[in-house]
Amino acid sequence: MSGIALITVDNFVTYALNGLSRGMIIFLVASGLSLIFGLIGLINFAHGAMLALGGYGTYVILQVMGNFWLGLVISVALVALLGFALERKVLYWIYDEPLLGFLSTFGIGLVIEEALAVYFGSRSYTVPSPLPESAQLLGVSYPSYRLFVIAVGAAVALGVGALLTKTRLGLEIHATANRQPTAEILGIDTARIYTITFVLGTALAALAGALTAPITSMYPTIGLDYITMAFLVIIVGGMGSFKGSFVVSMIVGQIIAFGWLLLEPTYVRILVFAAAMVFILYKPRGFYGKPEVHE
Amino acid sequence: MSDRMANVREYVRELPRRPLLAVGALLLLAVPFLFPSQSGLATEALIFGLFAISVDIVLGYAGLLTLAPAAFFGIGAYTVAKLVVDYGQSFWLGFPLGIVLAVAVAFAVGYVPIKRRIGNVYFVLFTLAFGAIVYDFTYVTTWLTGGSDGLGFFSPPEVLGIDLGGATEYYFFSLLVVAICGYGLYVLIRSDYGDVLHATRQNELRMRYLGYDTNRELMIAWLVSAAISALAGAVYVGLVGIASPSMVSFGLTGDVIIWIIVGGTGTLLGPFASAIGLVFVQEFLQNVWQGGYRLLLGVLFVVFVFALPDGLMGLLRGEE
Repeated sequence: MSGIALITVDNFVTYALNGLSRGMIIFLVASGLSLIFGLIGLINFAHGAMLALGGYGTYVILQVMGNFWLGLVISVALVALLGFALERKVLYWIYDEPLLGFLSTFGIGLVIEEALAVYFGSRSYTVPSPLPESAQLLGVSYPSYRLFVIAVGAAVALGVGALLTKTRLGLEIHATANRQPTAEILGIDTARIYTITFVLGTALAALAGALTAPITSMYPTIGLDYITMAFLVIIVGGMGSFKGSFVVSMIVGQIIAFGWLLLEPTYVRILVFAAAMVFILYKPRGFYGKPEVHE
Repeated sequence: MSDRMANVREYVRELPRRPLLAVGALLLLAVPFLFPSQSGLATEALIFGLFAISVDIVLGYAGLLTLAPAAFFGIGAYTVAKLVVDYGQSFWLGFPLGIVLAVAVAFAVGYVPIKRRIGNVYFVLFTLAFGAIVYDFTYVTTWLTGGSDGLGFFSPPEVLGIDLGGATEYYFFSLLVVAICGYGLYVLIRSDYGDVLHATRQNELRMRYLGYDTNRELMIAWLVSAAISALAGAVYVGLVGIASPSMVSFGLTGDVIIWIIVGGTGTLLGPFASAIGLVFVQEFLQNVWQGGYRLLLGVLFVVFVFALPDGLMGLLRGEE
């Protein structure tokens, strides 16, 4: 194709930034999934619905209060609260049965998405960008809002990364993920660790949903597209590895951003999925996965 | 409540099976005469019932958690539609071709994961990726699949002077296919092979020590399921007259998993009956509360997963 000819220095920077902002959104979704899977061993299919709730919540609060930032914060907080209730009241009881966990989160996700479809209809909604102006960066003019998304993603990566590696809580999360009974004996309240991790993961999904609302339009099943990609990202990165999901999200973001120059975007997606299938078969622990990860 | 439930179970257990079967068969045969306007819907319900059974073989009996049943359903549907619409070939040629294609794809996709015995979690994600690829592929290869427009329209041909384009005629044709396949799968599951499959799901390691090639047994179930799913898809496309991307979507995969859980995994009859029941409920609800069906379906599914994990059949049979 003639796509290669489209690359100039300016375009290159723009595409790279597009890839970065897209990669950050994927990273927010994938890191939440990865935390929940790495610690609890739960394939959380309700994750996509949480993302959709975050997006729709932001939209609703924007309509009511007229402030996007308020909407973002409140909707993430509300979804985190929902995650808390869900974990305490429902999922906590089924951690021992992965099959039941998969089916129940699948069902819960379905209920949330269909409730959104009933209430809002299946048409798509758009949220106006809260930062409509553009900024000058590396010689190109680039939407400020997307730069904000990149900054938030980077801040979350650093913040949660530090939480996991530098704090007592992070140590307790690692201990619980490795040997839950031993951690319990050593005095860690593992039930609390499970709850905190699930709520944190859910909040990251809601944040991704809220952040993506002004970039792409929202529809009830928006989460499905993201979690399919996110699941594959955490496989390639290594299940339960925070670093892995960050690195692979960035790579996938760039592949998608530049891939369309050579191929149609859907073919790029297909190739990414196919690569993930090969990884599942031949390198199921991905790049950064540890051998202890749940089978 | 539990008393009454016990009574129901007692009652069901004491019911003579054969006459009940005969009544059921008569009812299925009489549908087009009793409710002529509902023949199309009844046909759809039957086909989805067969689809549910075929997926139950993999999900319930082999214990392979697949998220790609719609892919095989779609392969059957698209093969028939492609041959008829684009190549002007016979409607019937699509049936064997679709099945062969589905089996070939199933073999290619399933061989390595089954041989390497990747865990349940990885099998779910593997089939999720495969399902996503097939769906994206269907959308993007407009030259092959018609993209979002699908491939249509056509109607089934005349056979031996019977015009299968008619709703009643096609109902009986579908009933014949469903009856043969359903009975075949029942025999398969009742045979020694069914026992081997059952034992493999319980304790694969022990079966290997006993000298069974469990990979081969699981592969057979996987291929049989793909073949019957493709056949169901092929019959279905004759009913609706157009192959569209919704036939390979996760929506359909979700539906079939719900039918199986509600009916009872690993029971054949349960998923068949619940698929038929829920298709009718959907039609009924669509007139009453547009869009509410899938919400109720989701709620129903969650209730079953938590309260009745053995499904309706488990409820009727009780603790065994």
